[in-house]
Amino acid sequence: MTGSVWELFFLVFFGLAAIWFGIVVFRTHSMVRSALALLFSQTAIGAMFMVMQAEFLGVLQIMMMATEMSVMALFMVMFMMDPGGMGAMEMSHQKRLSLRAGGVGLLAALAVSWLADWGPAAASIPDASRQVELLGIELLGRSMFIFESAGLTILTSMIAATMVAIAPRKPGGGT
Amino acid sequence: MSIAILLLTLTLGAYFIAVIEGWAVHGRFSLTRPALSAVALFGRESLLARTPDRLFFEAAPVLLLVAGLLAVAVIPLAPGLIIADLATGALFLNAALAYVLVALIMAGWGPNGGYAMIGGWRFLGQFIAYAMLIVMPITAVAMRAESLSTTMIVTSQADLWNVFYQPLGFVLFVLAAMGLAWLPPLDLPNAPGDLAGGVEAEYTGVRLAVLRLARMVIILALAGAIVTFYLGGWLGPWLPGWAWSVIKMLVVTTVMLTTGRLVPRVREADLLAAGWKLGIPLALANIFLVGVIALVVDI
Repeated sequence: MTGSVWELFFLVFFGLAAIWFGIVVFRTHSMVRSALALLFSQTAIGAMFMVMQAEFLGVLQIMMMATEMSVMALFMVMFMMDPGGMGAMEMSHQKRLSLRAGGVGLLAALAVSWLADWGPAAASIPDASRQVELLGIELLGRSMFIFESAGLTILTSMIAATMVAIAPRKPGGGT
Repeated sequence: MSIAILLLTLTLGAYFIAVIEGWAVHGRFSLTRPALSAVALFGRESLLARTPDRLFFEAAPVLLLVAGLLAVAVIPLAPGLIIADLATGALFLNAALAYVLVALIMAGWGPNGGYAMIGGWRFLGQFIAYAMLIVMPITAVAMRAESLSTTMIVTSQADLWNVFYQPLGFVLFVLAAMGLAWLPPLDLPNAPGDLAGGVEAEYTGVRLAVLRLARMVIILALAGAIVTFYLGGWLGPWLPGWAWSVIKMLVVTTVMLTTGRLVPRVREADLLAAGWKLGIPLALANIFLVGVIALVVDI
């Protein structure tokens, strides 16, 4: 059972890495560091998927987060007064409210993990290529409606946000 | 044994890419030049900019190299001659190369220099232009192979190479690959002549050597990806499989490194407009066409 010991080791390792990078997000003053710490936290979660033999999900998570968090870094730099953290800008706001919300969230997560009936552990895992196939069938079957409506919602909100962001053009030339 | 062969091939490949790039840039074909430049870079002082983001500055070249190496790991040179034959190989290649973007942003932000920072953020804009054109042609390739495994993708081309099956996807993928490796005319992040080196501007000595080596590995990975996805990988008559892979990769690299220099550098805004208004509709059309052909014709 050495394989499972190593799996456990790497699972704990990447889990701790994810938590550590999550803490770094709030400890740093630099917007870019903050965004990239969030990226590496998500990458560590992707690595946890890989350890748990969910290869497709892991690779997808690792791929998507790299691009999403980089774009987020760009927006943070664009809109913040102190993107480099040189002026020691305070990164946290509404501390008491966020502490309470975080505490409630933690309790809820712990309650779910303890109280939920997780059912018996899977005896065997289908190999990675079979997983991809099963996921594809799931996405084009039962879950198709959910995914399509989510995609359409995101697209609509992106177009709406872009429309709101465009400055109205003044009549008679110039912007 | 096969790992040793692969490492040797990787080292030689990266070296030859440096030789070909020297030939394309300086017009002189020299087999010793990259080795001499490497020795020179190692001998030189590696300067540190004033008030840098030290962590990003140090980590960026290493992350770039790791991203390139991980991408190379899923490229098959011959049946069985592959570092990691993942069931999700084609997607994994994307995932690894997405970190090229992260590394370049870090390299741009780290040294606290204007040119470097502009280069780094420029690459993010460039990424938004090329990213979909990497993923969508691969989708069409995977549709034909009915698998994301890179070896399965090669064997699916036994009757007809993908370059003839889906030429549109091939053209889009090669252009996007040139954007990913910031090769001319899409060399916006370092832009010799208008950004004074861009992301490379503040790097010197050993760090610059690692940065340049990483870029060679990325070009090698992309040439490998083009050969695997479109040019039939190791398939070919007479010669052994690995030889075909190597020959094809060298030809693709030479074409990528030389042809782009014949056209002027593309502006960022034009690149984004072309990518989204022309590239993505064409990539969608490619997926649709490949789907129809796969359903109707049995090849």
